[in-house]
Amino acid sequence: MKSIKHILLVGSILGLSAFTINRSINWTISETHEIKFSSSTGDPEGIFKTITGDIQFDENDLASSKFDLKIDVNSINTGNGMKNKHAKSKKWFDAESFPNIEFQSSKFSKTETGYAVTGMMKMHGVEKEMTLPFIFSNNVFKSTFSVNRIDFNIGESMKKVSDEIKLEVSFPVTSK
Amino acid sequence: MKKNILHGIIAGTLAAVAGIVYQTAYEDAMFLDFSSVINPGSIAGASLFGCMLMAFGYWLLVRFNKPNLKAWLNVLITVLSFLSILGPLGVTLPLDVEFPEMFPGLAIPMHFFPAMIFFGLYPFFTNSTLDER
Repeated sequence: MKSIKHILLVGSILGLSAFTINRSINWTISETHEIKFSSSTGDPEGIFKTITGDIQFDENDLASSKFDLKIDVNSINTGNGMKNKHAKSKKWFDAESFPNIEFQSSKFSKTETGYAVTGMMKMHGVEKEMTLPFIFSNNVFKSTFSVNRIDFNIGESMKKVSDEIKLEVSFPVTSK
Repeated sequence: MKKNILHGIIAGTLAAVAGIVYQTAYEDAMFLDFSSVINPGSIAGASLFGCMLMAFGYWLLVRFNKPNLKAWLNVLITVLSFLSILGPLGVTLPLDVEFPEMFPGLAIPMHFFPAMIFFGLYPFFTNSTLDER
């Protein structure tokens, strides 16, 4: 009888621990996420309102972690209607032909300040491998990085709009 | 002077009422909320300020005995009303405000209410001496 109890206890512990591990690496992006972009010239500046995708992340198991994210280009908001329309036009993002900005991770690594994720960034029909630094604390992913819009054929190089666009991403997550 | 002030106040008040009614109707019809950017207080303040400025211009014409410049003052008021639409077209709203592309449709018509109502009410406040000249 005692041995049956032990078996049940060990089985329960193993079962619960497996469930805990499973829960800790699958995350749902909260509605309060922020994706801000800005440039040194002050123009453009704004946000993308919609991001979707799969996040699997475990600080103790980076090998099985995965980011598969999609930003809806049509959700861009610069605070000005004419600028929004302009940004979605063929001259810039061409949202009709390329409605999403996509990022698919291939490798995670630990850094001095947090983590880095390497993956393919697809924007405006151009795919490019990028390594993005990020931190994960209190169930919030935060990352600040720059993208050279010319690398993705977004607009032309000009004085008024800088080539380097700074992105500040913050998305709180809840475990699934 | 009193007539000019009264003209400005009544025109400003009516322009404010028209603006607030228009805002309510526009936001209800379009399911929008620009209350963090434009509210009844700001509409009333801007309408009264605009109409009082026009009334001041009219008073200056009487004060300096230049009634023949009234037409040019009206042209100036109209041109300024048109130029003022650059404001709502170029403004950058807070990023948490949804559908900024709908903002000009709300704000631009309001920019014409003060001049329109001021001119419309003018016959009620006509200074006969000024008109005879």
